[in-house]
Amino acid sequence: MPAYYLEIIVVVLGLTVLMVETFVSLRDKRSLGWLAILGLLVVLVLNFTVVETGGEGGNTPFWSFYVMDIPAQWFKGLALLATIFVILMSVDFSRVLSKGICPEVEDDGVDDCAENQVALSEFFALPIFICAGMMWMASAHHLVSIFVALETVTIGFYVIVAFMRRNVGSLEAGVKYLILGALSTGFLVYGFAWLFGVTGEMELGAIADALNAPDVHRTGALFAFALILIALCFKIGAVPFQIWIPDVYQGAPMPVTAFLSVGSKAAGFVILLRLLEPFMASEMLNANVTSVLVIIAAATILFGNLAALPQTNFKRLLAYSSVSHAGFLLMAVASAPAHPGVVSPVAAVSYYLAAYLMMTMLAFLIMNLIRVQRGDENLEAYKGLAKSSPFLAFAMLVAMASLAGVPLTAGFVGKFWVFVLALQEKHYYLVAFGVIGAAAGFYYYLKIVKSMYWDSPADAGSSAAVPVVVAWPTRIAIVLLVVGVFYFGVNPGALLSLFL
Amino acid sequence: MEQAEVMLDLLFYIFSAIAVAGALGVIVNKNPVTSAFCLIAAFIGLAALFIQLDAYLVGIIQILVYGGAVMVLFLFIIMLMDMASEERRRFGLGAVAAGLLVSVVFVVQLLRVLGDYSPGSKVLGVLPADAATDVEQIGKLMFTQYYFPVQVVGVLLLIATIGVIVLSKRELK
Repeated sequence: MPAYYLEIIVVVLGLTVLMVETFVSLRDKRSLGWLAILGLLVVLVLNFTVVETGGEGGNTPFWSFYVMDIPAQWFKGLALLATIFVILMSVDFSRVLSKGICPEVEDDGVDDCAENQVALSEFFALPIFICAGMMWMASAHHLVSIFVALETVTIGFYVIVAFMRRNVGSLEAGVKYLILGALSTGFLVYGFAWLFGVTGEMELGAIADALNAPDVHRTGALFAFALILIALCFKIGAVPFQIWIPDVYQGAPMPVTAFLSVGSKAAGFVILLRLLEPFMASEMLNANVTSVLVIIAAATILFGNLAALPQTNFKRLLAYSSVSHAGFLLMAVASAPAHPGVVSPVAAVSYYLAAYLMMTMLAFLIMNLIRVQRGDENLEAYKGLAKSSPFLAFAMLVAMASLAGVPLTAGFVGKFWVFVLALQEKHYYLVAFGVIGAAAGFYYYLKIVKSMYWDSPADAGSSAAVPVVVAWPTRIAIVLLVVGVFYFGVNPGALLSLFL
Repeated sequence: MEQAEVMLDLLFYIFSAIAVAGALGVIVNKNPVTSAFCLIAAFIGLAALFIQLDAYLVGIIQILVYGGAVMVLFLFIIMLMDMASEERRRFGLGAVAAGLLVSVVFVVQLLRVLGDYSPGSKVLGVLPADAATDVEQIGKLMFTQYYFPVQVVGVLLLIATIGVIVLSKRELK
């Protein structure tokens, strides 16, 4: 099957969800969520069957915008998986969502708005369209297709971040994300304009050739690189463009935060890898590009990990944690390719992002349940969780151990390859910063484990003693993720072999 | 010939000055309506620059879409806002200083980069007299070579439409 069918199916799935909501009267609109998950699972399976080129039509203009290679297939898979988990969370989240959308009801009135599950189908459909955008991003190989795919994703995120429109936090997050997103888009387009001006090309392969030519204008090329890097650092949340992350992550509805932190970041990194490739391959620019990336990576690791230390809101803590993981990922990006016997940076980043997806989604699935059933996002709510819900506490323990990088988990293998790559390149200072960051990470991730297992809730008789109800689909997802974290932590070759 | 070039240069500077002055007016003015009108001035200056480069379609769209439709929308929204609170707002010294610092650094950087290019190092060729109009060329490109991005933009607009309905409808049913 040609690869571009995948995105078409995803878009049609999104339209189907909207149409079914319009023309079929459903008693419980959450079933639309199951429809969406089922459809995305089918696409995920189809993703393994695609062929790499267009076959007969391989020379049409389409193939200068769109490539199908191993990273593209990999990141399409990640986008689909992230979307599936996000919609699963949205199903659990629907009650809180309607509170954020519907006006307050009078005492005697029936709550029509919440009863009708207003806007729930849009909350399922928008992530599907965003998923299609992310899949286009994974395949984009032309400045124009990169830009339109990126904007599709970003505009979708503007909407779902502000989705709970009666909730001040959600609105504030939406406005902040909108303004900073627009600013970063401005930088991106300006950078593209410079890149086009310097090379005269818009297709990335042709740009790579042009940047390797001896007569390329060095200053102009570096300026284009700087502008593009600024824009993408906004997207992936690297220092000093990470300011928006904590507020937006905290204010956005829980499933959207998970989507931002996994999907948006993975899509940002695939674009970063694609756009940096021509610059890294150019001998004249390589040294400057690498040194800038090393500095940003070191600053990001240091800031993300140290700022996470005093946090008491779990969502905010994971926001800083996502900044620090962006730093570790940049460590791999800053390493040049072509060392025989070691994984390539692309493979290391891809593996790390898959591991990051598993452990972060695991944490967010559990946070989402606690948020819905206990109405609390603070660390307080997790005190004594091991007594009331041992299953969830164990799953959270696995997520935190993997995020911290305890051996035998996927998170450890991801960090391991990143450090190997950085040592290979002799970035010793960067490795030192990485070690400091990872050590600080142990403190704040294990702080949560401590409060789940050793602390008792502040008031014993309250809701904290009631077990958290876990519906069976969510339970299956949690079990799968826990197994995945261990399986790919012990046997990373199962994933990495794709890249060798 | 000589005279025409001087004229073109003169017009370039005049319209650039209008665009820059308009853009400055947008951020310096406290009254949002004045800001919006300054933005229109900036758009008109830009449109003239595009037309000078023979990009007639881009220039006209700049005026029709941005100067016309988008600005009318802006003004509507501004009229609905509480103007008095905007006028009273004061900016802290720190915010102004930081904003100035960042923009000065950026402009200095840009000037350094531009200074690296010698004037006239890249000259645009003159369009052949029998070339197709730019509307025709852009239209052809969009629906032949660039059909894929155009389709993606369609999905983008769908997302935006859904978003506007969900976020702004008064009573969702």
